[in-house]
Amino acid sequence: MIYIGAEVIVSPLGDTAEDNWQALRENRSGIALIPDAGFNQEAIHLSRITGLNGPLRFQRLITQAMATLKERIDASILVSDRTIVLISSTKGALDDNLHDQFSETCVSAKEQFKLANLPLVISNACISGVLTVNVAGNMVEAGQYDHVIVVGCDVASDFVLYGFQSLFAVSDKPCAPFDAARNGITLGEGCGAVLVSATRSVFKNAPLELLTGASANDANHISGPSRTGEGLVRSVTRTMRKHGADAGEIDFICAHGTGTVFNDEMEAIAFDRLALSDKPLNSLKGYFGHTLGAAGVIETAVCMQMIRNGMMIRSMGYRDAGTSIPLNIMVENEPKKLRTILKTASGFGGGNASLMIRDL
Amino acid sequence: MKVITAYCNLRADECLVNGEVIARRDSSSEDSWFKQLYRQQELVYPKFYKMDALSQAGYLASELIKRANPGFPEAYADDEIAMVFANASSSAVTDRRFIQSYEHGGSPSPSLFVYTLPNIVLGEIAILNKWYGENLFAVLPKFTPGFYLDYNQILLASGSRALLGGWLEVTADSTDVFLFLVEEQESGMEFSSENLLHLSQAGSVAA
Repeated sequence: MIYIGAEVIVSPLGDTAEDNWQALRENRSGIALIPDAGFNQEAIHLSRITGLNGPLRFQRLITQAMATLKERIDASILVSDRTIVLISSTKGALDDNLHDQFSETCVSAKEQFKLANLPLVISNACISGVLTVNVAGNMVEAGQYDHVIVVGCDVASDFVLYGFQSLFAVSDKPCAPFDAARNGITLGEGCGAVLVSATRSVFKNAPLELLTGASANDANHISGPSRTGEGLVRSVTRTMRKHGADAGEIDFICAHGTGTVFNDEMEAIAFDRLALSDKPLNSLKGYFGHTLGAAGVIETAVCMQMIRNGMMIRSMGYRDAGTSIPLNIMVENEPKKLRTILKTASGFGGGNASLMIRDL
Repeated sequence: MKVITAYCNLRADECLVNGEVIARRDSSSEDSWFKQLYRQQELVYPKFYKMDALSQAGYLASELIKRANPGFPEAYADDEIAMVFANASSSAVTDRRFIQSYEHGGSPSPSLFVYTLPNIVLGEIAILNKWYGENLFAVLPKFTPGFYLDYNQILLASGSRALLGGWLEVTADSTDVFLFLVEEQESGMEFSSENLLHLSQAGSVAA
């Protein structure tokens, strides 16, 4: 069995998974209107961490998340050559060194935590986080490493904001995934971390089970979601088949839900094709914004907190059905014992990835 | 056994397929090297002209590998060919051009922005070939054969039957692209660290 645990979330909502959980159950969002943030000095809604300014923001967030994770595991595994750290990110330390966005952070993490192996960076746009958790599970399953620490991180930058503005993809209000009035994404920054291992005893608190999943390309468009949801359908189908799971075993879906018209529509079509459209579902982008390479790790950590706390969290920003196929989107928090959650992600480059977290 | 059935090396001034030079850069031409190669090889895919250099490199090398190995894609279902690419500098060249578009060019360019992710090249190849398989892009300090070997082991367990691997480092002053195809066959060049390292240097003059 592959275990996943010791989850950490660093976001505008707090520095630990527990702080973040408290904010989520109170339906607090990290999104705020930031004056002068846009390309034309217009105010933009962003989910930014207070006090995270200046150089080395990416490195500092990763160090902070890893230090917090270290407290929750048998710290001796950090220095083992049977352990590797995987970093999931899109733009890394772009603002510090455009031409080498990751090396310095990897070397620094290796020195600071006395890691035996240099961290490995996976950069697959918005599916990076879910994909990297899957890579971690697969590495452990294949016996390549005993323990894999996954750290997903991206920091706010003018670069990414101006880019999404140029695509007219930035929401003029806090993003509203799946809502009828949704009109784009809200960007965020943050860092998530988890430990994936086949050894239960290395977790200080009880871990959960990771059911690793598959990725699938849409083979459709580099920046536009598929109209049929083909890649997402294939990813989820393969993930469920791999574990012999049928739709009846999925208690909850933590969707990607960026808040753009076409992405959310694509997901609705895919979940319908998968006969999963009646499952309770949320998007967490209304709380954290879209944290890109961190999103899949942060959102997987929230799935773990939902299972641990027996609570389904409301999909922030959603009010009126806004997809051609209705989904069962959470409009209020609701206590429920959850055994299996499906987590999905879709992104630029046509990527789709999914995984499942199961209570032990 | 897993064997390397075709490979392509694309460098600053020459292109090799299976170790044989198929094209050399014409330094007198005003066209970019990748455009020269596209024309010389009589490739037809107008989207090529919209792509950034990283995607052009991946497109060219993958098309040349297909050409060198006729019947390869047809031997597999559309989700059985996985792609695992890596490089050292992510999408830095296009990132820089995108920054220039808003710092000096008046406004951020959407057509550049969509290429400011290293995995876009995987999407371009998937779209062209209608491949729905597994994709992964890693950023590594240097070409590391063990990375591909490890990941191939994982892919096999997940149902992929062929692997298109790639190292695509295209910067302002250097071009180092090595794509290779790994398939199950009874004999051939074994998919090993030594062979990958050796083939990645194919045709290079030994220092």
